[in-house]
Amino acid sequence: MTSKQTGIITKKELTRMSFNVGGLGMEWSWNYPRQMHMAFLLMLDPSLKKIYANNPEGYKEALVRHMEFFNITPQLAPFVGGIVLSMEEEVNKGDISGDGINGIKAALMGPLSGIGDSIFLGCIRVIALGVGLSLAQQGNILGPILYVLIYNVPAFLIRVFGARLGYNLGFNYLTKAQENGTMDKLMYAAGILGIMVIGSMTFDMFWATVSLKIGSGDSVASLQEVLDGIMPGIVGLGVTWLYYWALGKKVGPVKLILITVVVGIALAYFGVMSA
Amino acid sequence: MVVQSILLGLVAVWGVLDYQLGTLYTFRPITIGPIVGLILGDFQTGITVGASLELLFMGAISVGAYIPPDVLIGGILGTAFAITTGAGLETAVTLAMPIALIALSISNFIAALTPTFLKFADDAATKGDSKTIKKVHWLMGAIGALEKFLLVFFAYYLGVDAVESVLGSIPQVIIDGMAVAAGMLPTLGFAMLMRMILTKKIVPYYFLGFILTAYLGMPVLGVAILGIIIVAEKFGFLSGAKEAIVGASNEEVDDDDF
Repeated sequence: MTSKQTGIITKKELTRMSFNVGGLGMEWSWNYPRQMHMAFLLMLDPSLKKIYANNPEGYKEALVRHMEFFNITPQLAPFVGGIVLSMEEEVNKGDISGDGINGIKAALMGPLSGIGDSIFLGCIRVIALGVGLSLAQQGNILGPILYVLIYNVPAFLIRVFGARLGYNLGFNYLTKAQENGTMDKLMYAAGILGIMVIGSMTFDMFWATVSLKIGSGDSVASLQEVLDGIMPGIVGLGVTWLYYWALGKKVGPVKLILITVVVGIALAYFGVMSA
Repeated sequence: MVVQSILLGLVAVWGVLDYQLGTLYTFRPITIGPIVGLILGDFQTGITVGASLELLFMGAISVGAYIPPDVLIGGILGTAFAITTGAGLETAVTLAMPIALIALSISNFIAALTPTFLKFADDAATKGDSKTIKKVHWLMGAIGALEKFLLVFFAYYLGVDAVESVLGSIPQVIIDGMAVAAGMLPTLGFAMLMRMILTKKIVPYYFLGFILTAYLGMPVLGVAILGIIIVAEKFGFLSGAKEAIVGASNEEVDDDDF
């Protein structure tokens, strides 16, 4: 697939693909049985019409082919679209069979979603929230605005450049990236970045305080100060890992909220903690 | 009241439309909160309540096959009830998750029915008729939008009095307790997110981020920038530019992130 210069889809068409009804609407017609299939098909449709301009039967087969199950981190869909288009051209020439495309789509979904989710949801979104939330909590509207921008500017860049990259490099490139561990590395990097921000936010975003006093008379000390002396934010850190542990024991979030409310009431009643 | 209910319903429609505009993640409480606040005449509270709900729902994201609680509906109604009843942040945080779960089960019911329309799209595909497929695409999303509109409209229109009277009869000690709970619950959102992305290899970096903020008071953005430096250094994103075409191209992708 190094001879990709012969492709008939232009840069402009690839960019348009990232922004068409399917390219953007990946999750609009999401459904349980086949998920993003229709949007993916609609994203490819204008290009498929061009590729199969003189081959109506091939076009029909392509549509049927892309009605099959598809799911991916939405921002990476144009990337997969680019790869698929480069292959559709070869199907039209008779170089490869159409069935192969679905096999490759299926093979791409898992690893690419893994990497896409860790980059977008576990990393960029977390950074966007880290910046946006601290402003929003002070009632500053810049918070939500920055959040939307920090999340979406990279998302749209990846849509546009992903489509080109996928089309120009084709499938072989991706297999290579998987084999030499580049994809694992990227996921690892996104994980580090995301978890550091979460660690930082764990300290910032816990705001219940221990109001209990220990000692009596002149030697009275606030327990919160004692705890902060050991390690600032130790209470929030402890509660976070308690939740983490409980979730691992399959205790659902609603149950945890109810428990927290009950515990919170008890703690407030006995004056142990306050907001 | 009717007007407000309709407007809130339209916010829900926007939240669904987000999925047609490129999954912008504007259906999250941090962005929905201010809009709800604007509609109900308390912009400021909308922003702060939205921020608190965002923290609570931080881990409620669709990763892989996991279908999260309906954050959109939970965010809209949680914020709306909190502002209308004047009960504030604690109420929003306590109400939002149960609402989001009820809304999810309603959506699931609808989602079990809509795939019947896929037959039309399948038939159209065999005929090479992509126009019909496009119509089915629009229809499937529109059903979801309508469902969420009606859900928010009726829940707010019929529910606000009930919520108000229940909240009015709650003794002070319980309200204080809910405030304590609301101060603790954001970390539940983090714990849920950590359940998804935390691996043994990256645990040390969690604590690195924590201590930087706890001991040095470093703001989140500073931690993020330091994280970028660590990652760039650790993986040689800056030095070994010519590893292979693969490495180089991936670098390009990575640069786009920031």
